This record gives sequence, structure tokens and C-alpha cells, in this order.
Amino acid sequence: MSARADASTRCPSALRLLLGVNARQSWRGLLGLRQQSRLLTALIGLFLAGYAALSFMLFHKGLRFAGSFPGLGEVLTERLLFLLFACLFGLLLLSNLVISYTNLFRNGETTFLLPLPIPPQTIFQWKFIESTLLASWAFLFLIAPLLVAYGLTQRVAWHFYPLTVALIGLFIVLPAAAGAYLAVNLARYLDRRAFQIAALLAAVGLLAGTALWLQPETVTDEQLETRVLAVLDRLLQRTQFAQFPLLPSYWLSAGVQHWAEGALRGAGFFALLLLSHALFFGSLMCTRMGRAFYLAAATVQSRGSVLARWRWFRRWQARRRAWRRGMGGLEAVLAWLPGLPRDVRALVLKDLRLFWRDTTQWGQSLVLFGLLGVYIVNLRHFSQQLTNPFWVYLVSYLNLGACALNLATLTTRFVYPQFSLEGKRLWIVGLAPLGLHRVLAAKFALASGCSLVITLGLMILSSRMLQLTWPRTLYLGAAIAVMTFTLNALAVGLGALYPNLKEDNPTKIVSGFGGTFCLVLSFLYIVVAVVLLALGSPWTRHGDQPAHVVALAWVLFLLLSGSLGGLPLRAGLRRVAHFEH
Amino acid sequence: MIELSHLVKRFGELVAVQDLSLRIPPGEFFALLGPNAAGKTTTIKVLVGLIKPTAGTAHVAGFDVQAQPLEARRRLAYVPDFPFLYDKLTPWEFLRFTGQLFRMAETRIERETSALVARFNLEPYLGQPIEGLSHGTRQRVAIVSALLHAPEVIVLDEPMVGLDPHHARVLKDILKERSRAGMTVFISTHQLSIAEEMADRIGIMHQGRLIAIGTGEELRRLSGTAGALEEAFLALTAAERPPAPGLVATAP
Repeated sequence: MSARADASTRCPSALRLLLGVNARQSWRGLLGLRQQSRLLTALIGLFLAGYAALSFMLFHKGLRFAGSFPGLGEVLTERLLFLLFACLFGLLLLSNLVISYTNLFRNGETTFLLPLPIPPQTIFQWKFIESTLLASWAFLFLIAPLLVAYGLTQRVAWHFYPLTVALIGLFIVLPAAAGAYLAVNLARYLDRRAFQIAALLAAVGLLAGTALWLQPETVTDEQLETRVLAVLDRLLQRTQFAQFPLLPSYWLSAGVQHWAEGALRGAGFFALLLLSHALFFGSLMCTRMGRAFYLAAATVQSRGSVLARWRWFRRWQARRRAWRRGMGGLEAVLAWLPGLPRDVRALVLKDLRLFWRDTTQWGQSLVLFGLLGVYIVNLRHFSQQLTNPFWVYLVSYLNLGACALNLATLTTRFVYPQFSLEGKRLWIVGLAPLGLHRVLAAKFALASGCSLVITLGLMILSSRMLQLTWPRTLYLGAAIAVMTFTLNALAVGLGALYPNLKEDNPTKIVSGFGGTFCLVLSFLYIVVAVVLLALGSPWTRHGDQPAHVVALAWVLFLLLSGSLGGLPLRAGLRRVAHFEH
Repeated sequence: MIELSHLVKRFGELVAVQDLSLRIPPGEFFALLGPNAAGKTTTIKVLVGLIKPTAGTAHVAGFDVQAQPLEARRRLAYVPDFPFLYDKLTPWEFLRFTGQLFRMAETRIERETSALVARFNLEPYLGQPIEGLSHGTRQRVAIVSALLHAPEVIVLDEPMVGLDPHHARVLKDILKERSRAGMTVFISTHQLSIAEEMADRIGIMHQGRLIAIGTGEELRRLSGTAGALEEAFLALTAAERPPAPGLVATAP
């Protein structure tokens, strides 16, 4: 038996092998995408280009607007830059933490590699590189239009752009190292459930803290006219944290700003500061994390619940086990609903339980709608200033659009893959006398019902905060209700028309053709619908709109909604009625 | 050679493996049987170094899995019940990658791959992406990748699942040949017929403890039964106290 390496072997290092294999995997994945559907490639390309163009335009206009205030322009632009990078640093840290945890400890490749003769340090190195790339690519994509816009407004030389790219390359190492270090240590001491709950609580806490910290202040017209600098100073104080000199985002922002202004020595200092930290923490990751990673991986593989060390938790678990034998609170509520057949109730109950037990699903929903909720609740501070009907009008439609966009993100992410996720369970759900078309209809009803409670609630809240009249509130409520049904119907219908029954991972299901198509169609629908509703609004700046215009706008809106939601849902229902699986 | 010495693995209050000591000499074909949640998969995970034991040691080919992990792993191959494969690679690329990880010379990778691929009838699939292969074909690729570097010890967790009768036979033949040549085979299975047909010794685990070990005949004698191994297995595991609800050792 041969145990040692062949004497004459000149094999590449394990890290190089892993990099090579995974690069080949990714490249083939990209090629496969192109071969699978040109339409999908075109759609994705169009979407990305559209985002880049739109965000560039907004950033450019925004920076020019901020820079146009005499005497204050530079201060405002500088603060905007620092603030943006500070926020992105926080997001990057969170993103690296979550992705590193998943990538290091909930990943088949790690379990495959650990029993092979590869040092855990090498496995960690590869996973660190992979997590950094996965967590940071979106960051690069997000800030590219901003940096171009910034460069153009500051009229920088060509070398600003490559230097900025290099600075960003160094910068992303820091949140990546912090995220990976935190992930390894959290994995060692918290189980998955506890980790998810902790991450969620941290996110909610951060959200609440931000909402509290950035609470608007009342500024009188007199103050605005006579004490502009004092008011601005008060406002800017809230964003002072972005200029804390020990924040890596500060070094990046300062480096970029100095280079744009031609202060090359200052820029060089911050570049070296970033370089030294990136090298120090990068080398720690590459040389010192192997043992900690192995211990954490072994702990993750070994552990039940970390909370089981407490007696109250064990008692609660025992009581839950006892409950499971009975009906359970949720089932009792559903049983109370009149006219719900038992088989449909069982299906709805199953979907609700799966949703509740998957922290990612309700966690993301909570964060997205929580952010919107915080914003809407804060509208009450502005309602005093919104004396001009035009702004009230504009904000109410922007809220309608924001609410629908949030919903579209969630319907694409969670509702679209619902049918595909039944894939491996079709042996039970598909063969039940319920019939697949009723399964699909029940999913549509459940998703629409649940999301309607949230969207309608937010819309009414938004209208009340803006002190709109009840007819206007009802008008916007009716609009969001129609949009909720349409977006859910679109997601459910396309999910059944483009199923991926082999995949268990919802994010992979969503990233296919159907998911991308669903997202693009949802966004386009929202834009057209909001514009139609705004143009055909019964209330305008110049008085009441003629009835025929309002009627025409609503007919077009309903026709659009009916076709975009109804047709895919009908086609989906027809498809699953004769589904072969 | 495999040597487990006073191995204990606890998950909180639950003892998944309790004071397990076992020595499997080179060239032995050992089958580990046991009801669900008996602690078989946990034992395997400790043996291949995926998890750390709470107490005790595991040695592979004379090397401590925790203290000298790389030395042990160089001599070990592991086929889990659901093997991970890189979906976008072809079987040939995957096998070559595995060989390189074990620092095999290119010529040797080619030679060993050709021989094993021929026996498992994988030639038609060598250039196709793994993602398009059936469950059984993927399982064959995983088995070939494990056998490629001629390990001294191979650990297999339910390797026959997904294999058709022909390829199950091929695997049995290869394992038998290799074990005669000195490779230690450690197989965990619920298929008693495989244990009875192939194994030199059979161990039965129940509630985290090794409750019986020996040849098929010895197990029958121990259990006081005369028929098939199934009778002995049922008698031995029935004699034990059933696991308390909520304290069942589940594979983590």
C-alpha cells in the first residue's frame, strides 16, 4: 500500500489545486448560464447595465446638488463620502460574517476536504478567499457608479480610478478578516439556531439604534434662513461617527478624497495604512486560523443545541415535544377558520411551520419591512414640513413604490421557489388526492394573504403619517392590494412554469432563468403601475382630475395587473394539473 | 490498521459513543452494524477526524487522528453516505484532482484511474459534467476517488446505496481483493447480507456501545440463535433497553 507522496511527484500545492478546481467550477457555471438561455444572459446584462446607469445618474446628480451649496458643498460631499463608506463597511462586516459562517461550516466542500490530507489552515485559506469574494463583489458593483460620479464631479486625473480600485482591494480584506474571525469564534460557542437568533437580534438592534440615532429634529423656517451653518452643524453631528479615525472606512474615504484633491502625500499615507493593516490581518488569516477553524468545525459537527446546558431550555424542549403530539396553537387557529378544508389546512400549516422554523426567511422579511416601517413611522416628523401638496403627493407614491419593491424582493426570494422546493416532496404532496393545482392555489392564497396584511398595514400607516384623507388612504390601499395579488400571482405562476425540482437550495432556484425573469418583470411592473396610478390620480396639484382620466388609468392598471399576475398563475395552474414528476 | 481506545463522544448530556475500544488489524474486513442512532456515524466521524472525541483516541495506520492528522489522512480513504462532488467538473477532472491532493504522480493517477474506471464502467461518463450523472454513477465516481491512492484504511458509510447489483458486486470484489492485499476495510451498513457475506468480523453497536463483536457464527452463538444473521442481530439489539425518548443519539 502506498501512503506517502510519490517520490517523483511535482504536484501543485493544495491551495493552488483548490483555487484551480473552484475557478473551473465557477467558469463552467458562467458558461452554462450562457448556454442555457441567451434571454437570461441578456436580461441579467440589461438589468446590471440599467442599475449601473441609473445609480451613476443619481449619484452624479446628488453629488452635484450637494456640491452646489456655496461654502457648504465641499463639506457636504466629503461627509456623504465618509458616511457611505462607513455604512458599507458595516454591511460588509455583516455580510462577511454570515457568508463565512455558511461557507466554513454549512458547506459540503468543507466536510469533503477535512478528512483529506490537507492542513485545516489550507482549507481555511481557500474558504477565506472564497467568502471574501462572495461577500464583496456586490460591494464593488454598488460603489463603482459612485466612484465614477465622484471622480467626474471632482474632475480627477485618470490615475484616480486605478488607485481607488487598489485601495478598495486592500480595504475589503479588513471586514473579511474580522467577519471570518467572528464566524469561527461564534461557530465554536453558538449553535446554528443560536447564531441565527443572535445575528438577527444584532441586526434588529442596529436598526432600532440607527432609527433612534438618526431621528429627525424639528427645524423652524427662521432657523433655516438665519442660522444655516448652526443647523447644518447639528445635522452633521449625527454623522460624525463616519469620521472616527480608527475606522478602516475612514482611511479609504480619506485616501480617495486626498487623491482626488491632488494631495498625494496624504493619499499615500492612507494607502500605506490600509496596506499595512491588510497585510497584517491577511497574514493572520493565512497562518494562524487553521487550528481554531478545525476546532470550530469539529464542534459544529458535534453539537446539538448549545442552549441545552440550561435546565429551563431542556424543560421547554420537553414541553414542546409533548405539544407536538397534540394539535399545536397554530393548527388550532387554522382549524377555527371556517370553510378551510382539512387537506388545504394541512398544507397551509406545513408551509407556515417551515417558514417559521427557517430563521433566514422571516429574518430577511423582518429586516426589509422593518426598515420600511422605521422610515414610515419617521414620516410623522416631516409631515409638518410637507405643507406643499406636491411633496405629499410625491412621497405617498414613492411609499407605494417602495412597499411594492420590498414585496417584489420577498416574493421573488421566497414565494417563487415554493413550488420547486416541493420537488423532493412531490411523492407525498403531488400524489395526495388534493391535486397539485390546489396545492399551487393554496400557496398563492397563503402568500397573498400574509403579505397583504403587511403591505396594506404599511400603506395605511404611511397615509396616516402623511395625514392624507381617508379617500386617499383607501385609494392607495386598493392600489397596494392589487399589486400584492399581482406580485404573488406572478411569483407563484412563474415558479410553477420554471420549476427546478432537483435543487433544495432556494437561492440557487431563484438564480435560474425563472427567478431572474420574475424579479425583472416585478420591477418593471411596479414602475409602470406607480407611474400609471400617479398620472391617473384623482387628486392633482391643480384640483380634481377628470373622472375619465382616473377611470382610464385604473382600467390600464387593472389590465396590466390582471395580465401580469393572472396569466402566469393560470398557466402555472394548468401546467401543474398535468404535471409529470 | 484501526485502533479505537476508550472512545467517548458526548453531545451535551447525550452519550453518543460510550467507551468504545476496538482493534482492526491490517487486511481485515470489518462491518459495523447497529440500529438507527446507535452511534455508528459518530464513530466514523471521529475515526476520519471530522469531529473530536470527548475522551479516548482513534488511530489509523498507527497514527493518532487528532495528534498526527495529516499522517493519518494520507493513509485513509472515506466514502460518506452522501459524498460531495464538484458538480461542474467531469469525473476525470475530479479523479485527477483527488489524486493530486494525495500527491500522486500523473502517470500513477492515469494508471490507477484507468484500471478502476474500467472496472466500474465509468468510461462513457468520464467527460461529462458530474451534475448530469445519476445517483449511482456519482456514487461510483466517489468510490473510485477513494480507492485511487491505494489507502491503507478505507471507511465506507452505506456504500451500496444507489449501486445496481452489478456494480455492488464489483465494489465487493475490489474491497475483498484489496483487503487480502493488506487494506483495512471498515464498513457501516444496514444490509446484514453484505456483512455476513464479506466481513471477517462484525461489530454491533447499540445505544453508543459496542455490544457484540465476532464472526457471524460467534454472534449467532452469543445471541443463542441459529438462523440468519438477522436473527442474531435482532436478538442482541432487542435484549438492550430501548432508548429513552428525546435522548436518541442522532447523527449531527
